[in-house]
Amino acid sequence: MLYKNYLKMHLKSSFQYRYNMMFITFNQILINISEILAVYLLFSQFNSVAGWTFYQSLLMMGIVYTVFSLTECFARGYDEFPKLIKSGELDRFLIRPVNIHYQIFGSKIEFTKLARVILGIVISIIAIVNINVDWNILKVLVLISTYICGIFVIFGLFVLSAGISIYTVENLEFLNILTNGSKELAYYPINIYAKWLTRIFTFIIPIACFNYLPLSYILEIGSIPSWLCAISPLLGMLFVIPCIIFFNLSLRKYKSTGT
Amino acid sequence: MASIIDFTGICKNFKVPERNTGRFSMFKNFFMRKHKIINALKNVTFSIEEGDIVGYIGPNGAGKSTTIKIMSGILTPSSGTCIIDGLVPWQNRKNFVKNIGVVFGQRSQLWWDVPVIDSFELLKDIYKIPNEQFKETLEILNKSLNLSELLGRPLRQLSLGQKMKCELAGSLLHRPKILFLDEPTIGLDAVTKLAVRDFIKYINQTWHTTIILTTHDMSDIEALTNKIILIGKGQILYQGSFDNIKNKYSSIKTIEIEFAKEYDSIELEGYETIEHNKKFATLKNLPTTEFHTKNFVNQISEKYEIVDFQVTSLGVDEILAKLYKEYKL
Repeated sequence: MLYKNYLKMHLKSSFQYRYNMMFITFNQILINISEILAVYLLFSQFNSVAGWTFYQSLLMMGIVYTVFSLTECFARGYDEFPKLIKSGELDRFLIRPVNIHYQIFGSKIEFTKLARVILGIVISIIAIVNINVDWNILKVLVLISTYICGIFVIFGLFVLSAGISIYTVENLEFLNILTNGSKELAYYPINIYAKWLTRIFTFIIPIACFNYLPLSYILEIGSIPSWLCAISPLLGMLFVIPCIIFFNLSLRKYKSTGT
Repeated sequence: MASIIDFTGICKNFKVPERNTGRFSMFKNFFMRKHKIINALKNVTFSIEEGDIVGYIGPNGAGKSTTIKIMSGILTPSSGTCIIDGLVPWQNRKNFVKNIGVVFGQRSQLWWDVPVIDSFELLKDIYKIPNEQFKETLEILNKSLNLSELLGRPLRQLSLGQKMKCELAGSLLHRPKILFLDEPTIGLDAVTKLAVRDFIKYINQTWHTTIILTTHDMSDIEALTNKIILIGKGQILYQGSFDNIKNKYSSIKTIEIEFAKEYDSIELEGYETIEHNKKFATLKNLPTTEFHTKNFVNQISEKYEIVDFQVTSLGVDEILAKLYKEYKL
């Protein structure tokens, strides 16, 4: 299969620079651990933030780390789309008899991000063990769909910023706000922010669908109807559809303008 | 033979933002973007027959790359029709690109850090080439390009010439009907250049591949092509055989003469004196004079005492420079 071949190529490429790879991995994990420490210190002073305990917050970080790094690992091509345009690689994709999205997925696979995925899973497990929840099958399903929703939303953001970069060509910092900014925002329960910000990140970019909403169902807190919270991850996943449509339209524009 | 590429009335306009300069220009540019339309291609019409090797030439910025991009389906033209091998390139893209190969002289399609053969294997998957055919094709390419030593090494360890050989092989693995070469011999040494040329000819003969190459190296054109298309400022200026153009200009000769003694001035009817320095002079026949060695010797010996002379025709590069000048490019 073609994707397997892509995987093999990226693995071979990165093993050409083994030490580099090890240092990057180590460095990234160090950053994440310092972030967790910062949250820990915050909670050691205040016990709870907006009614959320340390472990509940930790679960949110665990979710974000896992889904963001997993998406970064496999969909990095979208994140670095401006590079593909500038280097002419996109032109190359267009002369291959393979779907463009398939080729973008294949263009970059960053194995160093997998360390962060593992860290995210470990944190999630620590958090889950330490929070007080009466688990039932539905709650487990909601939790699983929360992770899947996270992957979909982050991926959607990557695709969206890739689509925008076709118009701007230059990698504007603004696009970074879209992806990385959303990520940082999702470290904390989304309801602690100002109301307008909460609304944006619920209805426009559905960060809340893999953050505050499903967790309030699992933890049985908050005032939003619980059935809505339970299906919110499913609704959040839909975000990816307009993103892909936008990207495809932008690509059509690229073909007629050749920016 | 049937034509494989038909370009009819292709126009391509680009909208480019006009940038102000001067005070507050950054803000102005940000808020009020003015656009201006650039006509990269104006009513371009030509056709290429199956099995042709066509040289696509013109100065920088004439519209060569734009044309290649349209032909390979990367860009959609603003108007006009283009049929290549029975298909419209920018529609049903996936079907179309199976039959073309593209080599961009300055950019690689192979992976930097992995052995070349692995890149080839990936291309095999991309083009869904059957095992048997892949082996056979690789064998042929291997023989004619001497790749066997290169395939096991990562691309970054190869020299420019070796890289180009691998690029060529990579773009031919799926045996395309049409091959686009964008400056394939740029920066290559003489030996490699000849090898690449021989290979291009060989592929054209054995597989009957139609080849379109852009180049600034006129010796490429002379050695390879049976047709040239000259483009300038987005318009086709000439299409036809290169020999026609060459004949037109090769009637003008440059004659370098060494005299037995010094003359104050050299004047000869029908000739123009370009340079004169003591015992040496360079003449050129006027377009009205047909150069004939015997007549020339008789004519000049009557007036001057000469020791030696040498006649040269215009070089291909000079012919092209003249051509560009004639079309005011």
